[in-house]
Amino acid sequence: MTSSSSSALRDIQRDLETKANDLSKIQKDIAKNHQVRKKYTIQLGENELVLKELDLLNEGANVYKLIGPVLVKQDLAEANANVRKRIEYISAELKRLDSTLQDLEEKQNSKKDAILKLQQRIQSLQAGKAKA
Amino acid sequence: MGEPGLKGTVTSLSSMFPVEEAEKAAKRVEEALEEKRKEKNRLNEFIADNTSLTNLVQKLPDELHHDIMVPFGKAAFFPGRLIHTNEFMVLLGEGYYAERTAKQTVEILKRREKSLESQVNSLKATMEDLKLEASFFDTTALEASEGLVEIREEYVEENSAETESGLVEQDSISFTETDNTKGAFENEEYACILSRLDELEKEEELAAENDREKSEDSFAEVDSKKVEAVDEKWARVMSRLDELEKEELTAQSDEEKDEDQQTDASESKSDEDEQTEVDFGRKNNADHNSRYQTLMHSESTKPPQQRKDKHTTLEGLSNKHQQPDLTNELNCTGLTVEPAPEDGRSISRNMPQKVETLNPSENSSVLPDRKVKFQVEDSSRKEAAVQTKKPGFDSSKAFTGSIVEHAQNLQVLQRQPGTSSQSLGPQPSKPISRFKMQRK
Repeated sequence: MTSSSSSALRDIQRDLETKANDLSKIQKDIAKNHQVRKKYTIQLGENELVLKELDLLNEGANVYKLIGPVLVKQDLAEANANVRKRIEYISAELKRLDSTLQDLEEKQNSKKDAILKLQQRIQSLQAGKAKA
Repeated sequence: MGEPGLKGTVTSLSSMFPVEEAEKAAKRVEEALEEKRKEKNRLNEFIADNTSLTNLVQKLPDELHHDIMVPFGKAAFFPGRLIHTNEFMVLLGEGYYAERTAKQTVEILKRREKSLESQVNSLKATMEDLKLEASFFDTTALEASEGLVEIREEYVEENSAETESGLVEQDSISFTETDNTKGAFENEEYACILSRLDELEKEEELAAENDREKSEDSFAEVDSKKVEAVDEKWARVMSRLDELEKEELTAQSDEEKDEDQQTDASESKSDEDEQTEVDFGRKNNADHNSRYQTLMHSESTKPPQQRKDKHTTLEGLSNKHQQPDLTNELNCTGLTVEPAPEDGRSISRNMPQKVETLNPSENSSVLPDRKVKFQVEDSSRKEAAVQTKKPGFDSSKAFTGSIVEHAQNLQVLQRQPGTSSQSLGPQPSKPISRFKMQRK
């Protein structure tokens, strides 16, 4: 009796460990997600600033783009279009990241609940064993 | 004072806010504050760089060419010339450059500076909030460590007939929704008050008519004397109002929950605040005669409603709502109370010299002096009146007008502008604006 209950106890504990590992992985993913989101948000802000300045330029003002060590002359209209496309791309990325973040958080909560339940089972088993 | 059979609880603040936790919270807020400070420093550096760059850009076009040392590689320079002194390649962001003249560059830099400054301002605002939080945690930690206790006692009504305090208590009770009624006694008291108010009203009307020709200042002086004269009446009315306010506050105890945690000092601070509010109200008396007359008329015709208004408005005082009404109603009561000469004069003569300490909190005029005297006397009377009620005081109503026990603390509190300004801060400005509203 006791051996079977103790083996059951060990099983539950192993289960608990695996679940705990999963939880920590999920939490790392959430942290990474936050970082990437921060980067994208900063880039978005910068791009919007650039767009504002470009709008203030008259026609015929020279715009250059730094590609590696090279400054390349660009057309004003082209630069405008590029910056706008980049802004759209970044916002789409941010939305995607938001949804991923939501999923991750849900998974994290469910894992936490599962771990809690396991812990309760362990406690009840141990209390039962102590009584016996 | 001591009422037999009072039940109550004594909870040490340290049990509600464990000392270590309060200290930890204080540390956390400190750290957050540090971070924000670093951010602010960074932003300030940026702003400084921006300014120096703007100056340089403005100076360059002064010459056709500048003789400079040109950097050559990582560790060398050679002498050379800076030509094209009006052409700047400005980095717009994300690897985009634009060719601009000096003036246009300066404009770009100015726009950047503006955004930087707005960032700094928002950071400052958050820092202020954090500072408040930190101070709150610090005080609670201190209090908890000192073993300050929070005493809650049930409110048991007293049936004493002779003292004003007894009258006051029961009178106030009659106007609460939640309290148990005390029957005919309140009605009697109510009738008495009504009749007195009517008398005073009439006297005030006469006095106001006489004074209408005089200037504001002279009226203030006359008014002040009347004020002095009727301190007793005012004290009674005030204490009644305080009770009303307290009862009203029980209904709104949710808002006050945070303020519960503050010490008695804060409560007496609020009392002081209320008194200064009253003061402002009375000062307004001096300035607007006709308005008061109309107010008084309305008062005579609708005493119950006015009572309720006083009730609610006093509560508003402590909750910082409904302040226009407050001044109105207070003015009413102040005026009606004024013209009863006999009682007040003798009392006012016995006033201690605590007047000066309360002066700084008020505008300079003849009136505040008298008012202050009256207030202190008022407080002392209320002290006697309210001490019987002290057990009934609910600490959940921190900013009530129950006041008074700390008449001697009024001096101390006045010298703590930092702390009192927290509760008093928004209020001094508001009375002034209320006056403006009234003047319309």
